[in-house]
Amino acid sequence: MMRRYVAKIAWPAISLLLLAGCHRGGKLPPMIVVLVPSQDNPFFKAEADAAALRARSLGYRVRVDAHDDDAYRQDNLIDGAIASGAAAIILDNAGADASIAAVRRATKAGIACFLIDRAIDADGIAKAQIIADNHQGAQIVAEEFVRALEPEGGEYAELLGRESDTNAQVRTTGFHSILDQQPNVVRVAAQSANWSQSEAFQKTETILQAYGNIRGIIAGNDTMALGAAAAVKSAGKSGIIIAGFDGSPDAVAAIRNGRVRVTALQPAVLIAREAVDQADRYLKTGSTGKPERQIVLCDLVTAQDADDYENFEKIR
Amino acid sequence: MTSTTLHPIRSGRAAVSSVRTILFLLRARAILVLIALIILFSILAPTFFSANNLPILAKHVAISAILAIGMTFVILTGGIDLSVGSVAGLGGMTIGYLLTQGIRFGGKIHYPPVVLAIVITLAVCCCVGVVNGWLVSKAGVAPFIATLGTLYVARGAALLISNGKTFPNLAGIAVRGNTGFPALGQSLFLGLPLPVWMMLILFAVAVVIALRTPLGRQVYAVGGSERAARLAGIQVTRVKAFTYLASSFCAALVGLIIASQLEAAHPATGESFELNAIAAVVLGGTSLMGGRGSVAGSLIGACIIGVLSDGLVMLGISEFWQMVIKGLVIVFAVAIDQVQSRVQAKFLPLLLASATEAGK
Repeated sequence: MMRRYVAKIAWPAISLLLLAGCHRGGKLPPMIVVLVPSQDNPFFKAEADAAALRARSLGYRVRVDAHDDDAYRQDNLIDGAIASGAAAIILDNAGADASIAAVRRATKAGIACFLIDRAIDADGIAKAQIIADNHQGAQIVAEEFVRALEPEGGEYAELLGRESDTNAQVRTTGFHSILDQQPNVVRVAAQSANWSQSEAFQKTETILQAYGNIRGIIAGNDTMALGAAAAVKSAGKSGIIIAGFDGSPDAVAAIRNGRVRVTALQPAVLIAREAVDQADRYLKTGSTGKPERQIVLCDLVTAQDADDYENFEKIR
Repeated sequence: MTSTTLHPIRSGRAAVSSVRTILFLLRARAILVLIALIILFSILAPTFFSANNLPILAKHVAISAILAIGMTFVILTGGIDLSVGSVAGLGGMTIGYLLTQGIRFGGKIHYPPVVLAIVITLAVCCCVGVVNGWLVSKAGVAPFIATLGTLYVARGAALLISNGKTFPNLAGIAVRGNTGFPALGQSLFLGLPLPVWMMLILFAVAVVIALRTPLGRQVYAVGGSERAARLAGIQVTRVKAFTYLASSFCAALVGLIIASQLEAAHPATGESFELNAIAAVVLGGTSLMGGRGSVAGSLIGACIIGVLSDGLVMLGISEFWQMVIKGLVIVFAVAIDQVQSRVQAKFLPLLLASATEAGK
């Protein structure tokens, strides 16, 4: 009984594999695999779309996949890329340590790896690691946040990202390197809202109840900043300074209409295009012509220049 | 048989009353835990039990309570509905699509007014409930598997609607005649947020259905013993289909409320909400085996979860500890549930006997 089922399923599967194998010898253009954490987050989506678009326009076949911040899933996807004979991988990885082995395996299999947005804790394996300077970005946001609270300062709450995420740590460190130097700017509450808008909404509502004098809310990403803005509105408060991070289109729109004060734009689109260009150069000439570690500065977005930014890109 | 059990009882009338007290405490454990938590947080965080915070707390409770009310019926039949979180996400995305993209029809884009958009959204989400009900009752798929499948399908559908993007600005545009949606989650009625009223109305309806209608009693009967219920002439298929429909309807409401509160719809909204709802139901003393439990218990369970998470946020306790504490409360509550069943089973003859004696 069981054996018959196995046979029924196995034969078509094997013949499909064989068919796929036959195709590989054909004259298809080389493939670039783009792996990002998720496709339901506007940031990662913009990054994946930009990379895919540039790669297609350069004549590559493109496959885009999401690993959901799961190092094991990322491992499987990289195995998949190796099996399908990809030429290069553009990777926004699932963890600085947890991704090293997978990147090394792909490199050994002859696939050039280009890391974007997040680095790994190893040098000499990937061909390039192009990341936005989250620390600098957090500092410029915090500086603007302090300017907005001046001269009297006041109490503020911080919404942290998923606490197991490196970027959450880097950003909060960046914030505090500025905020902690201001004696009259005092953090009264800090909660993780796991990068989520609805969680930030609920937690901000509760925090506003516990601490009635809050004058500012600084959030580790824009999604949480927008949740906080909705909570502030629902509490009927005004004049609370809200700061975010990422430069998402929704946040830029909220900055235009004054609900959010400031964000830092991570040039995700720029970085993704740059990675594809370097991959192209590497595949054609054997070198990217750049050092492995490249850091791109974040841009400060406030009401004055909000119109210059669109979908994670500076357009003017 | 009777004489042997009756003998020790005569010697211990006091024992009967103490057993009664213990059983009462065990049965009322959920509400006792809730009261204890409220007292604890009121002492530790002065603004916790304030006129300003209580409506907000109630609003947060409403989200898991509405899900839990629908889930209670499913669990009472011995089933489970894992798809509610995804259905909430699907609901938010559907209303987001209708309000911002409109419906293409006859070469023109029509923007449905808010009430119609809400009705369409509820209908779309109820389709998931219908599929769940069909899979479980007609196709004979185990509830866990059937709703696990629709969990993925509904989440995928929510992502497909916008291709993974957020629908912002759900406030509507006056020219399109579709303004007013934010009122659903944000407005107050007699000092209480509208979602809290929805929770209360749903609760009242659910209690009436569970206790006063044949349908409600049939839900218990199916959960108690499906075979017996079938032999007694209960249309098990229809009863089960109703429970999954009710659960999806509640989930759709939650999706609408969240989208309205944020004035934005994100396709990942509602992830792991099903676990919160199941936790609330279980905390309220409903048995996962079906047949035993109550809607009121689930409401109390949802209150415990809401009070716990808001209270811990007010105290500034870190997310990691919040998770540990929530998990411990759930496990502890279910462990006590087992103790209760065992105590009840052990002393049932004793209690019955004393009741017969008192009747004499």
